[in-house]
Amino acid sequence: MTATLQNLHGNHACAMGAIAAGCRFFAGYPITPSSEIAERMSRELPLVGGTFVQMEDEIASIAAVLGASSGGIKSMTATSGPGFSLKQENIGLAAMAEIPCVIANVMRGGPSTGMPTRPSQGDIMQARWGSHGDRPVIALAPASVKEIYDQTIRAFNLSERYRMPVVLLFDQVVSHLLEPVELADRSSLQLVERQWAKGPSAEFEPFARTADGVPPMPRPGDGLRTHTTGLTHGEDGFPSQDPEVATRVTQRLLDKIEHGRADIEAYECHDTDDAEILVVACGISARAARAAVRQARAKGIAAGLFRPITLWPFPEEALKAALGKAKAILVPEMNAGQLVLEIERICGHDLAVEGLNRIDGQAIAPAEISQRIEELAGK
Amino acid sequence: MSIDTINTEPATSPADARTRNVLIVGVGGQGVIMISKVLALLCQTQGLQVKQSEVHGMAKRGGVVFSHVRFGPEVWSPTIPMGEADVLIAMEWAEGVRWLPFLRPDTGVFIADTQQVIPPFACRNREFFATPAYATETTAEIIGQVSDGFALDAGRMAEELGNARAANTILLGTLSASLDFPLQEWLSVLSQFVPKGTEEINRQAFLLGREWVEKTREEPDGAVALAPAPAQPEARPKIDVRLEITREWCKSCDICVKLCPERCLELDEQQIVRLKDPDACTGCRICEWLCPDFAIAVHHESRDAATESGKTA
Amino acid sequence: MNEMNSGGFEIRDYLRLDLMPHFMCPGCGHGIALRALLWAVHELGIEKDNLAIVSGIGCSGRVGAYIDANTYHVTHGRPLAFATGLKLARPDLEVIVITGDGDCLAIGGNHLIHACRRNLDITCLMLNNEVYGMTGGQVSPTTAETRLTTTTPSGNSEPAFDACKLAEATGAGLVGREVTMQTPALRNLIKKGLEYKGFSFLEVMSDCTEIYGRKNDLGESAEMVLAQKSDMRPEAYSTITEQPFRPNRLVTGILASNDRPEYGATYRDQAAALRGDDNGEA
Repeated sequence: MTATLQNLHGNHACAMGAIAAGCRFFAGYPITPSSEIAERMSRELPLVGGTFVQMEDEIASIAAVLGASSGGIKSMTATSGPGFSLKQENIGLAAMAEIPCVIANVMRGGPSTGMPTRPSQGDIMQARWGSHGDRPVIALAPASVKEIYDQTIRAFNLSERYRMPVVLLFDQVVSHLLEPVELADRSSLQLVERQWAKGPSAEFEPFARTADGVPPMPRPGDGLRTHTTGLTHGEDGFPSQDPEVATRVTQRLLDKIEHGRADIEAYECHDTDDAEILVVACGISARAARAAVRQARAKGIAAGLFRPITLWPFPEEALKAALGKAKAILVPEMNAGQLVLEIERICGHDLAVEGLNRIDGQAIAPAEISQRIEELAGK
Repeated sequence: MSIDTINTEPATSPADARTRNVLIVGVGGQGVIMISKVLALLCQTQGLQVKQSEVHGMAKRGGVVFSHVRFGPEVWSPTIPMGEADVLIAMEWAEGVRWLPFLRPDTGVFIADTQQVIPPFACRNREFFATPAYATETTAEIIGQVSDGFALDAGRMAEELGNARAANTILLGTLSASLDFPLQEWLSVLSQFVPKGTEEINRQAFLLGREWVEKTREEPDGAVALAPAPAQPEARPKIDVRLEITREWCKSCDICVKLCPERCLELDEQQIVRLKDPDACTGCRICEWLCPDFAIAVHHESRDAATESGKTA
Repeated sequence: MNEMNSGGFEIRDYLRLDLMPHFMCPGCGHGIALRALLWAVHELGIEKDNLAIVSGIGCSGRVGAYIDANTYHVTHGRPLAFATGLKLARPDLEVIVITGDGDCLAIGGNHLIHACRRNLDITCLMLNNEVYGMTGGQVSPTTAETRLTTTTPSGNSEPAFDACKLAEATGAGLVGREVTMQTPALRNLIKKGLEYKGFSFLEVMSDCTEIYGRKNDLGESAEMVLAQKSDMRPEAYSTITEQPFRPNRLVTGILASNDRPEYGATYRDQAAALRGDDNGEA
């Protein structure tokens, strides 16, 4: 296996990861701090036979991505908080109609226009609940430029395998970071290709209940003339309001996540085996937390870090396994307390769960975290 | 300018001082009046007396329009007597045939567009296989009857040039080749009559018509050979009409019943469409086209091959 | 084509028969428009496998599902954006958008003007029934002034859009309008739209009999389509009289055509040149 070492900007790493994953369609709308992804894609895609289009707005971008993906092409868009809000309805359509796509959201300070050039982790809950109704969600939060590259590839793989939208949550610090990245040789990449339905067949059901819960997708032009709708639909693809059908098909969408958890969930544990103070953090906050844990250990405090890479579905069992000897949990995040709600849900009844929050557009420094670790450790 | 300077060969006899007669005929919307106005103004600029008499009372699209243009050193009557038109220019084929008796039998020039505009009163029989009552004479027959005849598909020529509406200017060009006014004068007057922005295409159309006549004159029988024969009305096989009604799809909206031209449909006691009067049905398909629910299919079945008897509901 | 001859066109060949009868109200003009569309598809010999129909939300959005083709029923106002992605990704597909006056001009207005500007090879069929029918009859961007709707209880006081003028002004390659009552003419217009390599915007004057017609005492479907026909002037006449725009007296036929480069081909050629390929479609 050969590899090349490159200095890459986080947003460019996302674009390069997408190209490596086989993404051949990008539709986007300029928004700080994600625009470099679109810019890089506009240069790279024509070179590999793909298509870049700058659409008229955020909603058009995600809609065009769904159109291209329905045509059989791996597709993505990139945005930031306000644009992510605008895209929510169509993310719901992607979940309902099971159209694979990747949405990179470079989080910035909010609410509203907020602080476009300042980092934030304020969209963790928007990624989970942003679109109305019960729907499956996959969201990944890388913490380094290399991880942006790897997780972008993984986002496409998960999206194609489970036929659902996958959200990449970058904080502006990581997405604007320049770091040396070892890019794997393309031939060594493990890429997942969408399962295509074979046609034509009179009995074909585009949304059939298959063994793994993910039906093969019909591709236009292949002879299976099917209907795709955002309305609640039966296995045949046509609208239905039958309570039994509605329960069955909506449940199958949610079950795709439950069946795939082992494959979807990704996380890292640092010094968790004997940790009495467990820090749970993602993205750039996790990098600060890693340093803080190291500092705490140097001072003799049994601190550890649990870093979810997959935020949704949250790696619940892995977190429980990492609790070990934990007496307190600290959740540093660049928002008023979002990830902490999920940690409280999972282990709040047994343990003290505390947040460490910044909503001022500043990244959390390791010293802030280590100070809180020391307070929690009673030192 | 003296009339002596007008060389009318070969279009008209060289009787110098006599009044020249041009009869322009067609149907509403084709530009008959435009041609006659160009000609009249041109004659005026050449110092001739002109009288123009037009009838366009039926000048809605498709109605008969004709215009008499008489010019010379002194013109008294505004209308052309039978058999005295020096040039008969027809923008519609059957109109040309109809006005032939006005042409000078010995020297008259006949120019006709082979375009057909079939008038509504020629289509009174609404049965599917009915053919409209339209002139049956062929181009060759008519051109053979006149001393100097030209038949051309000006509509197609204009379309190929880029604007189907320039057909009348092509015909004006053909007329110019039979009246010996200077080319520049023609073009100058023409440019005053065409809509802004269409001067160039009209100039091209004019020259196309003019050159076509000149070229055709060089080849004997060329006029007929170059002109496509007027299309004869399509021979339609006699058919039987069968209405196929999908009762489950009919939503009783009544649109077919109300809009059937023959009033042969009705809603039955269950408010579903039914063919009430099979003999009146012409198979025109209007019910099929307008049924928003696709509940009616009209089948035309060859009368010879039909095994079932006639129309069924 | 002889109008009297169906030319072998059997609408059943193009319908999902399992779903029939369709769910539109009695007398709804959308069905007539659907016939004209399928008739045009038949006459152009477009393969159903290569036909992609994209529609949004509203009564117009439900029309596509009855077509035996690759049909997509997407979010409100977004069919043109979805179709843009689909057509760019799959230039081999014949992509038709079926949308309505609310879907296309209100919530989706931004996508319309940019689709016109971009000139991608998509045919957009806007079924204009002057009302939001699916939601019970609210005022739409094309509702004529003074008309009663459930949200204009004293009569509509907003002026209506002339969608074709909008499309023309924003650069659509081909713009046309027709009424449903002129079904063969509507078929011909749709054929021209499908044949045009670029974005064609076609407005179909449809009738909402059950809600809009009843509320405004416009009669039933027969009366409504007749009134539409008599309210329209063919394009050929309009150039003679040059009347100013009045919303209740619109012009039919091809209203604008521009010979503009098709966006998808332009992009692919540019990309091929970047790669150094000879063949733009490689």
